[in-house]
Amino acid sequence: MSAPAAPSALHVALVLWRRSLNEVLRVRGALLPATVAPVVFLLGMTGQFGRLTGLEGFPTDSYMSWIVPLSCLQGAGFAGAATGSNLARDIEQGWFDRLLVAPVARPVLLVGPILGGVSRSLVPATVVLLVGLALGAELPGGILGLIALYVACAGFCTVAALWGVFMALMFRTQQAGPLMQQGVFLAVFLSTAYTPEVLLRGWLASVAHLNPVTYVLELARQATVSGTQPSFAHTWPGLVALVGMFVVLGALALLGLRRMGR
Amino acid sequence: MIGEAAGREGRVVVALGRRALSVQFRRAQLLMPTFVLPLMLLAVIASGTSVAQDLRGFPDVASYLAFIVPGTVIQGALLAGLTSGTALAADVEFGFFDRLLAAPVRRTSLVLGRQAGTLGLSLLQSIFFLAVAFAFGARYPGGVVAVLATIVLAAITAVGIGGIAGAIALRTGSLSLLQSIFPFVFVLLFTAPAFFPRELLAPALRDAAVYNPLTYVVEAVRGLLAGDATLGDPWAGLAAAVLLAVATTVLATFALSERLRTL
Repeated sequence: MSAPAAPSALHVALVLWRRSLNEVLRVRGALLPATVAPVVFLLGMTGQFGRLTGLEGFPTDSYMSWIVPLSCLQGAGFAGAATGSNLARDIEQGWFDRLLVAPVARPVLLVGPILGGVSRSLVPATVVLLVGLALGAELPGGILGLIALYVACAGFCTVAALWGVFMALMFRTQQAGPLMQQGVFLAVFLSTAYTPEVLLRGWLASVAHLNPVTYVLELARQATVSGTQPSFAHTWPGLVALVGMFVVLGALALLGLRRMGR
Repeated sequence: MIGEAAGREGRVVVALGRRALSVQFRRAQLLMPTFVLPLMLLAVIASGTSVAQDLRGFPDVASYLAFIVPGTVIQGALLAGLTSGTALAADVEFGFFDRLLAAPVRRTSLVLGRQAGTLGLSLLQSIFFLAVAFAFGARYPGGVVAVLATIVLAAITAVGIGGIAGAIALRTGSLSLLQSIFPFVFVLLFTAPAFFPRELLAPALRDAAVYNPLTYVVEAVRGLLAGDATLGDPWAGLAAAVLLAVATTVLATFALSERLRTL
């Protein structure tokens, strides 16, 4: 009797992807925090700082339009970071140890959960966008702008998931959850979150200029900000930033994976 | 006899308050959001929106950082209250609270003990926030008395929020529910003039702010720290904070009675 054929990498990735999607379907309210938090921030920030559009140099007169991409990225980032929390739980409960002895390359074990995170991130990103549009955000970028927004969200979610995975593999406990979330929070807000770069003052102006998320935000803002129309010039810096973060955090996650079980 | 009983209950409240605080400090993941998140938001908002001082109608303030510090202090109070509720939910879920119920102490002391822990956490937080902001250039022309009054106001507010969170924890006994209401805390914060003057808020928010007790607390703290009564009335803030604390502590006590009734 011949041994059963080892499953292909694609098959393993798809099965683990489906498993992570099951959590959304079977755990009641699993997506609630990642969806509600960005909506609350969207409404709160717009209500608090909406008058900033009256300042000279602000590219749009709708603060809601300015904040919607930020909140979409925030929601996608939180959904991505949750991948790390879930992995930490799997490590703590011993499930991941069993996966490690499976006859597949270790990196494949991460592909499914990260794809699951990206799929989950579509929910908060879309809810935030719809709430924003319902409350007066504009959509001058049209279809191209929307594509840019969703690419930015999916890319940022992937990067946040890699960050979460790295943290999970390093600390191997769910107690690292706040670190994963706050990493995303910091990355998003140390950028041109509230005002464009020309209106930033002090240390944040320098930090935002160096922060790759600033360029991912610019990519996303092609959808809703009238002063940032879809163009190659507004697109490539964001894509390069995403690739750069993917390479660095991906390498760290793989390093953590190699150390597992040693 | 009555004095002896009151003294014993007082010791119970203090012991439970100390336990609540030590549990918080032993679980760093609970403290991270309460101590770090408000400071992160303060740093980002202070630098990211300081240009707002150029807006017509913005009060003439010496330091933008000092203007928004009250928002951070109140945010800390909100998070301290919520963290306290989360810890109580953990006690309920893991059975520790049921063991407490078997102890020969008044049930209200169990609620007050938890609230004492919240008060202690908020005191430490406010001192920390005000000191860090001071180190980064915020100045408090209101003086030492104003700083002390701010710390007291924040602590009473934290007890108020702790009462709501405690009531939810006792009613549901669900740790995950308490963890998932975290974003709703920000609804209370953002419907108050936490980081911007009330006159410059969006019209809908300005209307909502009137009904939010935190509006009066945050404006009172702003007025106190700036030594400028036109920015906020300290007595209105104190009244709002005390009313909130008393009402929600009663609510939490009712939730405990309800829990005992259905056990």
